[in-house]
Amino acid sequence: MAAVGETILEVRDLNKAFYGVAANDRVNFDLRAGEVHGLLGENGAGKSTLCSVLAGLYRPDSGEVRLDGQPVSLRSPHEAAEHGIGMVYQHFRLVPSLTVAENLVLGLKRQGFRLTLRAVQNRVAAIAEEYGLTVHPDSYVWQLSVGEQQRVEILKQLYRGARILILDEPTAVLAPHECEKLYEVVRHMAQQDHSVVLVSHKMEEILGHTDRVTVLRLGRNAGTVNTAETDAASLAAMMIGAEHMPEAGEHALRRFDDAPAVLSVANLEVVGDRGVTAVDGASIEVRRGQIVGVAGVAGNGQRELQEAIAGLRAISGGSIRLGERDITSASPRERSAAGLAYVPEDRLGTGLASGLTLEENLVLKSYREAPHSRWGVLSSRAIASTARDLAEGFDVRGARSQMAVSLMSGGNLQKAILARELTRTHDVLVAASPTRGLDLAATAAVRTHIRAETAHGRGVLLFSEDLAEITELADLIVVMSRGRIVGSYTPETLDIAELGLLMTGAQDQTAGPAESAAESQAGDPAGSPAG
Amino acid sequence: MSLRIGVEPRARPALPVRLGVPIASLAAAGLVGAVVIVISGANPLDAYQTMLDSSLKGWRPLTRTLVLATPLILTGLAAAVAFRMKVWNIGAEGQLYMGAIAAAGLAVALPSGTPKVLMLLVILVAGAVAGALWAGLAALPKAYFNTNEVITTLMLNFVALYFMNYLIFGSVSFWRDPQATFPQGKIIPEAALLPIISHRLHYGLLIALGAALVLWWSLRGTTWGFELRTIGDSPAASRYAGMSVRGKILSVLALSGALAGLAGAIEVSGVLKTLDPRAIATELGFTGIVVAAVARLNPLGVVPVAVLLGAVVASGTNLQTIGIEAEIVFLLQGLIFLFVASGEFFLSNRLVFSRPASAVGSA
Repeated sequence: MAAVGETILEVRDLNKAFYGVAANDRVNFDLRAGEVHGLLGENGAGKSTLCSVLAGLYRPDSGEVRLDGQPVSLRSPHEAAEHGIGMVYQHFRLVPSLTVAENLVLGLKRQGFRLTLRAVQNRVAAIAEEYGLTVHPDSYVWQLSVGEQQRVEILKQLYRGARILILDEPTAVLAPHECEKLYEVVRHMAQQDHSVVLVSHKMEEILGHTDRVTVLRLGRNAGTVNTAETDAASLAAMMIGAEHMPEAGEHALRRFDDAPAVLSVANLEVVGDRGVTAVDGASIEVRRGQIVGVAGVAGNGQRELQEAIAGLRAISGGSIRLGERDITSASPRERSAAGLAYVPEDRLGTGLASGLTLEENLVLKSYREAPHSRWGVLSSRAIASTARDLAEGFDVRGARSQMAVSLMSGGNLQKAILARELTRTHDVLVAASPTRGLDLAATAAVRTHIRAETAHGRGVLLFSEDLAEITELADLIVVMSRGRIVGSYTPETLDIAELGLLMTGAQDQTAGPAESAAESQAGDPAGSPAG
Repeated sequence: MSLRIGVEPRARPALPVRLGVPIASLAAAGLVGAVVIVISGANPLDAYQTMLDSSLKGWRPLTRTLVLATPLILTGLAAAVAFRMKVWNIGAEGQLYMGAIAAAGLAVALPSGTPKVLMLLVILVAGAVAGALWAGLAALPKAYFNTNEVITTLMLNFVALYFMNYLIFGSVSFWRDPQATFPQGKIIPEAALLPIISHRLHYGLLIALGAALVLWWSLRGTTWGFELRTIGDSPAASRYAGMSVRGKILSVLALSGALAGLAGAIEVSGVLKTLDPRAIATELGFTGIVVAAVARLNPLGVVPVAVLLGAVVASGTNLQTIGIEAEIVFLLQGLIFLFVASGEFFLSNRLVFSRPASAVGSA
């Protein structure tokens, strides 16, 4: 299946850091004419940074990009387009109120004052025909389905002369049958000697529809292999770095079979922002004193699940119980009062109101209670005193300043949220990516607080993309993929390699014997299982 | 090496900046206004002197300014409270008309022997309630169907205007004086008139000042104000904290409408003494938006800004004596808004001057 040509694009020792954190660390990458090249990695592995450099959005700190052997500088998306590099983003950049043809010429230079759309339409129709991209040039974009809009985006890049097309997680937004259409288009393009970079964290997609794969991990190259010569297990190992994982059983095994459940989520179904089922019948139980870690690649329904538990998102089926109490239809405030503490993923904007002071944010959930207010009148003295206590107890800086919290460091903000959430009476803590972006000291502090929860007999539901964090903290690890819980491990039964496969959707414990599931997907690229 | 000018956001600016930027904006408006005055063939210094004389110099001009400022304080507060929550009530104009209609109607309907205190209480409350209900017509669909309140409140202004015109010019309604040759409203009884402080200055000013003070305190010192500020700042965080955004939309728009309606009632009771559509439809509601914006949505800031804009309007009366059209003051008003809105940019951003970094990246 490989239509291997010569190398047309080369990236050498690319470095790019954001605020001192390396997003790409000496990354190398090469692309051949007519190949579909998979770019695989967890969130934060550096895939997007690499693509953004190629698309002219970011400028590298150092390193070199060569096209056809010649070094080029890609200082803007326009320059990248002039070199024939086009990128299709997850979030489409189309104007809904314009037609397909109008969107294609939008922003093009060398366009006369008078639009000659007839010519555009003819060329669009020709390109669409050639690549099997069926969209009508006269349709308005707002009338098109997500899959069709994506085809317009691809068409736009081809119309602008792209010979290298970068698709950033193109199937994340698509229904299964639309995915198949997309793969067909990708195959067509490769046959026409175009090169496609397929960014993905879905194993089956990479295995079934690419010629070679480059795996990134923590901003570095983890390896480049021919797809035909690899399998899901070795790719997963490269992706999550299984060899570096702490061995299971490092922390004391504890039994929770007899402990009462403090949080029970049963057959929960939630519809996501795009109208697609995001949580598809997930069931999770957290017992007294237990930390349950939810492992999974971002975008597999974790956020929707958290928000549904917190009452911030409507559910379409299932139930949620907090101890004995059914909170399925309770308001966020009622859930909080019933004993649910929630540390959201989005610190600034959801966890904290960015324009308010730290003091005000520390009482964001208790401002209606005495002594912070009586008869609707706030007591600034009581609020200041609470804020001071919380800040001291959790080592939060700047509690007395009138500075808006949006200007504070991430670690400080997270400690502020924990201070507020953990000091309220609660039985369950739901924490989402609580240490993401924090430095080592802040990370350690946050993990200590989470561990201390269990000592008080509380249950913790921990969502994290950091497997090391989950294996370090959790008494039970469940794996979430495509909105479902596809596996669960205790520290005794933990098999990191298998877990990696589950996370990337290459294997489904619930679908049957592990071997056959992996076999059928690795061996049969066309037959993707129902998602 | 060229100097590059960039912009970066800044934290809450220091007091000198917060005071200095609006003053500089006003000065800039005055400068551009001066150019226009020169073009219209007059001496801008004379013009500004005349304006000052007829608005702020001496007690009598000052009372006139304050009479004009009173409704602007209230409509400014109406806009400020809604805008603080990022609810864009553009309908103070119509809410004010409805307040005026309710107040004038009750003033002539109640027996003229009603005690003054009771009479005033009834008509002012009625004005506020009418304004709140009119705003409610936009608030309910906003809260339940997330309709765009900019459009609904704006459109309701026209409904209110034509309704008011119909009552006086288009029909022999209860509000219209049947004896008068020309269409006009019934004169309200003595008991319904706000007492006078001095010259034409009535006690409505104190009501407006009280409203500013109460609103300022409510925003800072009550759970209601805390919720309002949180929702305005980050809707997601307020939902997370368990606040009812829907309930707040209803209460804030109702309060906003009540303040505008109160302004209408006070105009009828303190100045016009009748429902006079021509005299009341002077864009007091729209000007309130300007007042609130210039005051940076601070209820206490609304007072001096309203007085300033009142002074600008009052200053127009004597301009004709030196050969300038009185309309120039509206131009000045527009300029002030324009420059203050631009100045806002400099309050939340600062200019940074830098030399371009030496070229980095792929050679």
